[in-house]
Amino acid sequence: MAGHVPMQRAKTTVKLNHSSLKEPKVVQWLLTFIALAFLALFLVLPLITIFMTAFQKGLETYLTAITNPDALAAIKLTLIVVLITVPLNAVFGVVAAWLITKFDFKGKNILITLIDLPFAVSPVIAGLVFILLFGAQGLFGEWLFNHDIKIVFAIPGIILATLFVTLPFVAKELIPLMQAQGSAEEEASLTLGASGFKTFFLVTLPNIKWGLLYGIILCNARAIGEFGAVSVVSGHIRGMTNTMPLHIEILYNEYQFAAAFAVASLMSILAIFTLIIKNIIEWKSKHI
Amino acid sequence: MSVLQRQKKKKSILPGFGLSLGFTMFYASILVLFPLSMIFLNTASMGWSEFIKTVTDPRVVASYKLSFGAAFAAGIINVIFGTIIAWVLVRYHFPGKRFIDGLVDLPFALPTAVAGIALTTLYVPKGWLGQLFTFKIAFTPIGIIIALTFIGLPFVVRMVQPVLQNFNAEIEEASASLGARRMQTFRKVIFPELVPAVLTGFSLSFARALGEYGSVVFIAGNMPMKTEITPLIIMTKLEQYDYAGATAIASVMLVVSFFLLLLINIIQWWTNRKFVHS
Amino acid sequence: MSIHIKHVSKNFGDFKALDSINIDIQTGELVALLGPSGSGKTSLLRIIAGLEHLDQGAILFDGKEITHVNPKERNVGFVFQHYALFRHMTVFDNIAYGLKVRPKKTRPSKTDINKKVTELLQLVKLEPLANRYPSQLSGGQRQRVALARALAVEPKVLLLDEPFGALDAKVRKDLRRWLRKLHNDFHITSIFVTHDQEEALDVADRIVVMNNGKIEQIGSPEEVYDHPNSPFVYDFLGNVNLFKGRIHKGKLKQGSFEMDVPEFSGRNEEAAVGYVRPHDIHLEKIKTSADAVSATVSHIHVIGPIVQIELKREDAEEFLEAELSKEHYKVLSLQVGEQVYVKPKQLKVFIPEDYSI
Repeated sequence: MAGHVPMQRAKTTVKLNHSSLKEPKVVQWLLTFIALAFLALFLVLPLITIFMTAFQKGLETYLTAITNPDALAAIKLTLIVVLITVPLNAVFGVVAAWLITKFDFKGKNILITLIDLPFAVSPVIAGLVFILLFGAQGLFGEWLFNHDIKIVFAIPGIILATLFVTLPFVAKELIPLMQAQGSAEEEASLTLGASGFKTFFLVTLPNIKWGLLYGIILCNARAIGEFGAVSVVSGHIRGMTNTMPLHIEILYNEYQFAAAFAVASLMSILAIFTLIIKNIIEWKSKHI
Repeated sequence: MSVLQRQKKKKSILPGFGLSLGFTMFYASILVLFPLSMIFLNTASMGWSEFIKTVTDPRVVASYKLSFGAAFAAGIINVIFGTIIAWVLVRYHFPGKRFIDGLVDLPFALPTAVAGIALTTLYVPKGWLGQLFTFKIAFTPIGIIIALTFIGLPFVVRMVQPVLQNFNAEIEEASASLGARRMQTFRKVIFPELVPAVLTGFSLSFARALGEYGSVVFIAGNMPMKTEITPLIIMTKLEQYDYAGATAIASVMLVVSFFLLLLINIIQWWTNRKFVHS
Repeated sequence: MSIHIKHVSKNFGDFKALDSINIDIQTGELVALLGPSGSGKTSLLRIIAGLEHLDQGAILFDGKEITHVNPKERNVGFVFQHYALFRHMTVFDNIAYGLKVRPKKTRPSKTDINKKVTELLQLVKLEPLANRYPSQLSGGQRQRVALARALAVEPKVLLLDEPFGALDAKVRKDLRRWLRKLHNDFHITSIFVTHDQEEALDVADRIVVMNNGKIEQIGSPEEVYDHPNSPFVYDFLGNVNLFKGRIHKGKLKQGSFEMDVPEFSGRNEEAAVGYVRPHDIHLEKIKTSADAVSATVSHIHVIGPIVQIELKREDAEEFLEAELSKEHYKVLSLQVGEQVYVKPKQLKVFIPEDYSI
């Protein structure tokens, strides 16, 4: 289960009040201070930096940066990638989770490992494999060239690389959830005369909806922010094959810091949004 | 109608086996299995001596040491502080705790490139934090370690938190009632329960840090032999159209990744066994 | 609907869960599958429901083979051990589920569904809780919803898997009584699985005692209790005292204990065990017959209306357990340490070798 931390479903909180059951107050204060200082240093400061640098040249520069045609093209491309990859991997996640949790078959462990792999693999390698498959020197390179189909250094390549990198999210969220829920309700549904599809949509889906949503949110966040894999596969063609993170990289490397951070601030807002929704989902699923 | 006939074996009562098996295998094969096997197929066609030469080139070896060492250091930092953070979040109360708790996931939600440029800006000599130190942070291995710590921060926290939350308070009470001091209770009763979670968190953080690209490539400086991480070397070779070289190094990284994945699964299996048997 | 189970076998790898099971169940019968865990009773129930495949054999409903028919089409009502209520639906929707998922052609109208569900809610006395969710109900209430849900589709067969296992003693007794009444009113062929012999003896028309995937005995509650045909059945159906001795000249002998066993007159010098129920142990303060065994009272447990007396035999290092009603105990006025004379009123002898595998 590499690279994945499932939604927190713990229900009990520890309540200890006796003096020999708690650290001395001094220690408590110290630990709290260390924890908060660490988090401030590593999380809060970078966030603040993003927004401050974004606006350091004033509001007008900021707005120009995010409405510039290349920026808009990057935003649009990121959106397209997300709209294609997230639903696909969501469907895969649901089907794979159903397969793995409801049936026993040879090779199940191999499949589970296969699904784990994208988490363990460096994003650069994720991009590399698609170059090896579809690049000019790649396995299908000549065939693609003869049919004038572009995959790498074009949008399809970006989509494939993103699909690879975000493949496990929904599945890894649903598998433990569905395993914990068991199959009794599905069996009950069958004895009551419901078909397989009806059972899935009326019984299973409502039971997994929060886990599914959670997985989709994580998948979505990663798809938007993927950098390494897409960097390898995109060809960095301005205005055409740059996603938002790639666009940020270009601006930064050209020393257009304010502009780079302006776009980065948009992505940070999205990230904060993701965190909020994630927490809402966690809260909701605990209070069912 | 023979009563003793052998029944034909169907897989299961719940429907959808064939369909879901077909779809899942197909999807996983063309997106994961097939592409990854390309790495090994390509490497195989490279020839052994050429392969060894590429992956043991001094520059490449320097990058192994750097990637490994920095990932390890970042993992250790995350273990220490991650455990403290998890403890504080579960056991103590303070205003804004829920907000802070939510914030811990920021490295998961924030794009790596955004993190990369933000950290660089902070730690360059003229940056807010960079100017506080006499030595350089950005463009040195220290900067790399900082970026990798950021990336791996949530792993240990999120692995340890549920263990602490589900922790059976009665065990602590039993220890205290038997006369143990707080530190003893922590060392002998509480910490052993956390070890599997901490180990898993470390391994996840380490595995992630090894392959990390986006958040490191800005702060590293990317000087060969000094601050060049392995994923960057792969990237560089690709830009020079040295596909063979890139693939060779990638295969080394993949083998390490598989090994780490195996290790993580073993830790989790061992953890489950421990609890099932007890 | 009658059910015929013919030579049904099921293996899990090397483990034989069911070994050539044959049972014939008449329409309207209430049958208990009784046995310890691992006896195969739940596997058999699930196979009848279609929730598991059998490896050999056949199942017939009303003479028609349904072995390959999937659960959806068998029209059985299944009540799960842990209820398996749909956690995201209200009580009302749970009960209505079986009717709502029918294909359009056979689906009743909304008003008909409402009517039927309300009837069932009244039957199980849960009308005020119709809009609650399963998590808001007690165990006993959930069980009644599970039953109502199964009955809603008017099944020909009702199958219950340890229906009262997870409930408190008082609730269990009430529900048992209620299930019996339900069965008397509706006469649906029903099979329920239990490991509690008291439950089986209380509720069932017939009991199928199972052990290690095989049937030990099938009979009415009286039959299996009073005339158990194997040591296992004897021991499982109630408490037992053992007299382990030998058969010699038509008598079972152990130490100073002796008893006529005419049914084994042909066998000699074989090891045999006498089985006696605690309430068949007769205690007296004076020795009135030659074959009464001398023993000392070692413990007295007063448990509600019953008194259990633990006795230590003087002729053998063995303990016996006798059970008396409270009045009888008071009449005898026994003390710990007192010497009494023990005589079994009814003894069933088994020769162990006949039953070893």
